[in-house]
Amino acid sequence: MKKTAIDRRHFIKITSLSSGGLAIGFMMPGLPALAISAYDCEFFQPNAYIKIDKKGKITVYYSKQESGQGVDTALPMIVAEELDADFRDVKAEIAPYGTVPGSEHDTGGSQSILGMYDSLRKAGAVAKAMLISAAAAVWKISPSSCAADNGEVVNTVTMQRIKYGGLVCEAAKLPVPKEVTLKNPKDFKLIGKSEKRSNLKDILTGKTKYGLDLKVPGMVYAVAERCPVLGGSLVSVDDAAAKRVPGVLKVVSYKGTGAPMHVRDGVAVIATSTWAAIKARKLLNITWDEGKKNNENTEQLFKTFAGKAKDAPKIEVYKKGDVSKYNGKNELVAEYAQPFLAHATIEPMNFIASVKDDSCEIWGGLQLPDWAVNTIAAVSGIKKEKIKVNLLLMGGAFGRRLHFDFAIEAVKIAQQFDKPVQLVWERTDDTQYSPYRPANYHFLKASTDEKGSIISWQHHVLGTPIAFMTEGPDTKNIGEMDGADHGFCYAIPNIKTGYTPVDFNINRGWLRSVDICVNTFPVESFIDEIALKLKKDPLQFRLSMLENRPDFKTGEGPGALTQSPARIAAVLKLAAEKIGWSSPRKPNHYIGLATHSFIFAKSYAAHAIEIEMLEPKKFRIVKVVAAIDCGLVINPDGLLNQMEGGLAFGLTQALKGEITITNSRVNQDGYFSYELLRYDEMPPVEIHITDSKEEPGGVGEVGLSTVAPALCNALAAAGNRPRSLPIRNEGYSWV
Amino acid sequence: MPVFKLNVNNKEYTVEAESDMPLLWVLRDLLDLTGTKYGCGVASCGACTVIMDGNAVYACQRTVSTCVNKKIITIEGLSEDGSHPVQRAWQKAGVPQCGYCQPGQIMAAAALLGKNKKPSEELINETMSENLCRCGTYHRIKEAIHIAIEEINK
Repeated sequence: MKKTAIDRRHFIKITSLSSGGLAIGFMMPGLPALAISAYDCEFFQPNAYIKIDKKGKITVYYSKQESGQGVDTALPMIVAEELDADFRDVKAEIAPYGTVPGSEHDTGGSQSILGMYDSLRKAGAVAKAMLISAAAAVWKISPSSCAADNGEVVNTVTMQRIKYGGLVCEAAKLPVPKEVTLKNPKDFKLIGKSEKRSNLKDILTGKTKYGLDLKVPGMVYAVAERCPVLGGSLVSVDDAAAKRVPGVLKVVSYKGTGAPMHVRDGVAVIATSTWAAIKARKLLNITWDEGKKNNENTEQLFKTFAGKAKDAPKIEVYKKGDVSKYNGKNELVAEYAQPFLAHATIEPMNFIASVKDDSCEIWGGLQLPDWAVNTIAAVSGIKKEKIKVNLLLMGGAFGRRLHFDFAIEAVKIAQQFDKPVQLVWERTDDTQYSPYRPANYHFLKASTDEKGSIISWQHHVLGTPIAFMTEGPDTKNIGEMDGADHGFCYAIPNIKTGYTPVDFNINRGWLRSVDICVNTFPVESFIDEIALKLKKDPLQFRLSMLENRPDFKTGEGPGALTQSPARIAAVLKLAAEKIGWSSPRKPNHYIGLATHSFIFAKSYAAHAIEIEMLEPKKFRIVKVVAAIDCGLVINPDGLLNQMEGGLAFGLTQALKGEITITNSRVNQDGYFSYELLRYDEMPPVEIHITDSKEEPGGVGEVGLSTVAPALCNALAAAGNRPRSLPIRNEGYSWV
Repeated sequence: MPVFKLNVNNKEYTVEAESDMPLLWVLRDLLDLTGTKYGCGVASCGACTVIMDGNAVYACQRTVSTCVNKKIITIEGLSEDGSHPVQRAWQKAGVPQCGYCQPGQIMAAAALLGKNKKPSEELINETMSENLCRCGTYHRIKEAIHIAIEEINK
């Protein structure tokens, strides 16, 4: 292979394909990642997403971060569809940091498909158009007499064929077209058909390198002891015993940070093996100043919530009509509570950093790499341009790696050592120092009219806001905790909702289904509660407030979302039908329903859960049925994975997930005390996908929020309604 | 530092390690066999499951000094190319989401089927409930185990 002088045609071409100015095929000069050093037309790389070599092997670079949600498969499928590639020739690789605009790496909010669908289609279509032009030039015919088919260009007159690999050199010389024609979705061959995960075999043979598995030359290991109370500080450390542990190289201390990531003051042991560091850490003798907020506990927090629940909310969130006219009239009230939760990815947090003079290289899994790098630069004093970022696969994320506290720590530690350092969080650290899903509490009040319709609805959400942590206590942003808002799906004429923030000294963060999960449990429980009180069928009662309600916008301007009560009704009906809602139930069998939307991700889902009561508070889940409408489905197998996973996540929360805090310290220290759903607890599930032609939505989060209310509604049908999660605390057990 | 001879994936290794170092860290940090995962270090998740003399064991619970003269198989050595019936079944069922726990899941299932070609549902439940998966791939694990059972009994 001959390395030639760089021909500018071999650089990734800069092109702006959409009229909206979205740059695809973007390369920042000076970045090493995909900067091609022009191997004598070994491959064709028309943009940042596609590289085709002479053998016809296609590499698709996916710019969203993979943590199990399947972007490494669904995103390449979109490219391959428009490229008319043979998917067996496609290999998926992480798009190196810097090869696309920084924010495009951001991964969260179930936005990967929504955010990338149009631009990846265009990227694939551009490459295909260039390959067709190249073939047309070879055949000396018009491109209009050529077609693409399964990795080859076909001369539609002579039916000759040239494989893409054979067109690489010619295609690379062509200008990138500004306009391309996209396929009619009815001609899709790949999108909509199940594909197994790319890179599956590497996972099954242990070859996949997650962050924790990477070895950088010369790398050493670190674990850290952190201030047990958030906001406390290090007074002194006696590290004499720790330093005597064989393999220990150095003990360093570092200062914590405030918002946005709330790194605690820490003392890290750097050693030649993780084990030596873990052992030595136990021998550190540290004196901490815990600060003033060292006596908070969750028991008191929930008492505080309950004490304020009936007061007027501190912040009004949404108002429609006049609820005050109905106060005290035919009224039902209920209170619901949900605890702090941890993400508990099986791969604990970890990060590698190497600092040399004024520059730094980092390796790890990050859902928001751009924000992380900007913050690391601000905290470390290293210029952003001097930080080289290597994005790695994540052994689970669920929102945990939207936060990058561990990355800041790794850089602070590496700044004090002359070799690359991998910071490893032990399981106890991961359980005790995470940004937790906020604890929350709900006071709901509704009045019904003489016809048995809900005439007024009030919802007071109390919580420990995430924004207080990321933005500080003066923030006006209540975002993730705002309860029933402008997108509230049920047709009720008078609504008032509000929020009361309560601060608490523990870090909070985004967990899969963030605010949707917080609000769906109380709303779908309370709707059910009203139906039962009115002796109405919970299915028909919901449908009466959904089915005839037209789609509506949640606000003004470009940020407004569209809510579709009809789509929420449709998934509910589907789930109810498939579980046999209208059929006679076996003795002691009960069914609960819940439905909702995640309109930010343009997706709608419902759950129906059938249980058998074995004893007054002991049950068995007989069957779960989920129904989902997420518009056009890219990879049905990936969708099923997310729905199956959402069920497990939702059941963990419903049954046993809970972080409690005493003296500002988390009581749980790992999987024995913060239990996850286990294999033998997974109930049978059926997942039904609506045949939707709507634009594709995101499915990472929509599959879990209705699990807990559906289960609780089944338990309510059996006689006792749990109003707080996890239900284990209300004395329930299950087999 | 003490020296230990280990047989891992039918290869002899000599490692220099403190005698209380768990096999997990020997494999990962000293031998660069990172397919065996760290999840908890306290036998609560099963991510570090390896096969030792035919039995599934937690690599985090075995100090290196107790691993001498044992035949240790890790995910890297279960087959050369992913062709072990359990790996093939995992492929067919498309089990992984993030995939991090799957080497441990596969080793637990392989050890079970290595000892019992037709395990009862109760035994499968009991065995596999020791391995956590946060992504929630349990349905597919179940499907894969049954594919593997069918395969090895053909």
